[in-house]
Amino acid sequence: MNILKFLVSVTFLIYCFSSDLKAKNLEIEITKNLRCLICQGQSVYDSDSEFANSVKILVEKKLNEGLDEKQIYAYLKNKYGDWILYDPGFSKNTYFLWLLPILMFVFGGAIILKKVILKKKKL
Amino acid sequence: MSSLIGYYSLIFGVGVSILVIFFSIKNFNDTQKLDTKVISLVFLQLLFVIISFSGLILSFVNSDFSNETVFNHSHTTKPLFYKISGTWGNHEGSLLLWLLVLTLFIFVFLLRSKNQPKQYKILTLLFQQIIIIGFFIFLIQTSNPFNHVFPVPKEGLGLNPILQDPALAIHPPILYLGYVGTSIIFSSALAAVCSNNITKMWASHIKKWVLVSWIFLTLGILLGSIWAYYELGWGGFWFWDPVENVSLMPWFALTTLLHCVLVLEKKLILTSWVVVLSIATFTLSMCGTFLVRSGILNSVHTFANDPERGLYILIFLFILIFLSFFIFLIFHKSENNNSKTFYLLSKETSILVNNWFMMYFLSVVLIGTIYPIFLEVISSKKISVGPPFFNKLILPFLIPFMLAMAIGPKLKWIKSDIEDKIYLILFFVISLILSVLIIRNLDINFLYNTILITAAFYLFFITLRDFFHRKYRNLSQITAHFSFSILILSILFNNIFSSEVITNLKINETYQAQNLKINFESIEQENKQNFKAIRGKFIVEDQSGLIEVMQPELRIYNQPNIVTSEADIKTNIFTDKFMTMNYVQNQDYFNIRYQVKPFMIWIWISTILLCLSGCLSLIRKKYEN
Repeated sequence: MNILKFLVSVTFLIYCFSSDLKAKNLEIEITKNLRCLICQGQSVYDSDSEFANSVKILVEKKLNEGLDEKQIYAYLKNKYGDWILYDPGFSKNTYFLWLLPILMFVFGGAIILKKVILKKKKL
Repeated sequence: MSSLIGYYSLIFGVGVSILVIFFSIKNFNDTQKLDTKVISLVFLQLLFVIISFSGLILSFVNSDFSNETVFNHSHTTKPLFYKISGTWGNHEGSLLLWLLVLTLFIFVFLLRSKNQPKQYKILTLLFQQIIIIGFFIFLIQTSNPFNHVFPVPKEGLGLNPILQDPALAIHPPILYLGYVGTSIIFSSALAAVCSNNITKMWASHIKKWVLVSWIFLTLGILLGSIWAYYELGWGGFWFWDPVENVSLMPWFALTTLLHCVLVLEKKLILTSWVVVLSIATFTLSMCGTFLVRSGILNSVHTFANDPERGLYILIFLFILIFLSFFIFLIFHKSENNNSKTFYLLSKETSILVNNWFMMYFLSVVLIGTIYPIFLEVISSKKISVGPPFFNKLILPFLIPFMLAMAIGPKLKWIKSDIEDKIYLILFFVISLILSVLIIRNLDINFLYNTILITAAFYLFFITLRDFFHRKYRNLSQITAHFSFSILILSILFNNIFSSEVITNLKINETYQAQNLKINFESIEQENKQNFKAIRGKFIVEDQSGLIEVMQPELRIYNQPNIVTSEADIKTNIFTDKFMTMNYVQNQDYFNIRYQVKPFMIWIWISTILLCLSGCLSLIRKKYEN
C-alpha cells in the first residue's frame, strides 16, 4: 500500500518537472469562448468556416494592438451582440441564470439542515 | 415491399396495445395470477415492432429509395455497416428504435418480476402502454419512417459523413436503452404509488432497473463523447452543448435516484422523494427528446427538426406530467415515520448530501440549457450559455462534493463516528502536497486549482485505500467513487497540461519551435468506397528526440458532397497526440493543428470502470450471500 502511494507520487513528481512546455496561448483561449455565428453550435476555435477564420484574424489583430481579453470581448460584443460570447456575464438579462442555481443550492441545504438538526433536538 | 410490411406492423402494434389494455383491466381483479394472455399479447406487440424495425433495416440494406427515409439518409455506395446504422441515424428511424426498446423493456419487465404483486405489475404495464401508444401515434402521424416516394429516385441523398463513425453507429441504441429504461422506472413508480406497494422489496426490485438504465446511459454518453473526440476534429470531448446537456440531466437524476433507492432498500425512508425522482428522470429523458427533435436548440448534433413534431412531444409530455402529478397527489401516502432520526454523521445524511449536490448540478445544467430559450421568447435577446458558465458554477462545487464522496461511504447507518481520523488527515496532507507540487510552476490560478486537485486526489487515495482495507465489502461503491476520482483527475490534468500548435504548412515545409519540430513530408490520394482520401504525412519530433509519424486525413465524400477532416490520434497511457489537417481555400498550404493531450485515455477508462461498478452492483447479491 505504502509502496503504491510512493510510486504514484514519484510518477507525478517526475511528470510535473518534465511538463513546463505549456505556453499559454491567449488567442486560443479567447476564440474558444466565442461562438461561430454561422455554424451549428461550434466555437470560433473549433470551426474552419470563413466567419470563424475572419474572427480569429480579428482577435489576433486586436491582441497585437494591445487590447486585453476583456476589451476584446467587449469589442466583439459591440460588433456582433451577446450571442457571440459563450460566457453570458452577469447583467440585467442574466440575474436569474446565475442566481437560480445558487438559490436552489441554498434551498436544498436548508431542507437538509432542517431534517438533520431539528430532528436531533427532538430526541 | 419491406416498407409496406413495416408500416402495417406498426398499425397492428397499436391494435395490440388496445387488446393489452382491455385484457389487463379485465385481469385486474379476477384471478390471483397474471393472465398469460397478457404476456403473450405484450410479446406479440414486441414482435410487430421488431418486424417493423427489421423492415426498415431491410429497406436501408437494399437501398430501397421508394422509401422516403431511406432516400433522405442513404446512398448505394455507403458501406453496409453504415447502411444499417443509418436506420437509426435519422429522426424517424431513431423513434422506431425508441419504440422497439419501450416494448422490449416492458416484456422483459413482466418476465423478470414474477414475485411482484399482480396488481402492481398490471398497473406498470398500463402506464407503460400509455407511453407506448403515445409513441406509436407520434410515429404514424408525424414521423412515419415508411413514407412512399414516387417516382422512385435512382439514388439517395446519403448520410451526413460525420455520422459515419463506429462509435456513433452504436451510440443511439445504447443511449436509448438508458433513456427508455427510465420509462420502466416511471411506470413502476406510479404503479407502486397506486397499489400502495412502496416497500423495501419494491426498492430492491426497481434498483436493478435503475442500475441497468444508469449503466446504459453512462455508456451512451461516453460513446457520444468518444465520437466527438475522434470525429469532430477539434480534440475536445465535452462542450456543454445543449444536446450533450440534455443527456447529462437524466444522468444526474438517475444517479441521485440510485443513491436514494439504496437507502429505501435498507430503511423505508425518503419514499416520496424516490417517487418524485422516478417521475423526474423519465420526464427529463422525454424533455431531452423534445428539445433535440423540436429544433429549438442550436447544436452541432441536431440532425432533424420540425415544429409539428416538437409540438406533439410537448403535448404528450404535459399529459404525462399532469397524469403523474395527479396520481402522486391522490394516491401517495407520505411515510409516517417522522420519529426516525437523521444524525449529522450517518449514511442517511451523507446520501442526502449526495442528493443535494446532484440536484444542484442538475439545476445548473437545466437552467443553463433552457434559460437562453426563455430569454429569447420573452425579450427577444439572444445570449449564449457555454462552457465558461458551467465551469464557473460546477467546478467549485466539486470540491466539497468530492470530499463528501470520500468520507460519506465510511459512515454507518443511523449513527456513526468517523474512524481512522489519522489516515483521513494524513491522506489530505499528501494530496495537498502533491497538488501544490504539480500546480506550482504553472501559469494558472494557483489557489483554486490546487484545492480542486487536492479534493480529487483525496478521493482517489481514500477510495484506493478502501480497496485494500475493506476487502470486498461494498466493492461496487468503492469502484464507482474511485473511477469518478480518476475521471475528474484526468479531466483536470487534461485541461491544465494540454498544449497545441496551429500553423499553416506547405509540403516539405517544417515548423520549428523550441521544443517541437513538425515536418510536412508528403501527401497522397486514395479512392475509397464512398469518399476520396487525401492523406498527409508528418514527422513530429519533440524535445526529447522522440519521433512520431502522423497521418491526418481529409475525406471528400461523394454523397452528400462534404469534406471532413479525419484526425490522426496516437494514444498511449500517458498522453494522446492529436493532429488534424484542414484545407484552406485557394491556397497551396494546409492548416495544421497539433495537440498534446495528457491522460486522455483515462477519461474513457474511468468511465468504463464506472459502468463496470454498476455491473458489479447488479451481480453483487450472488457473491455476498
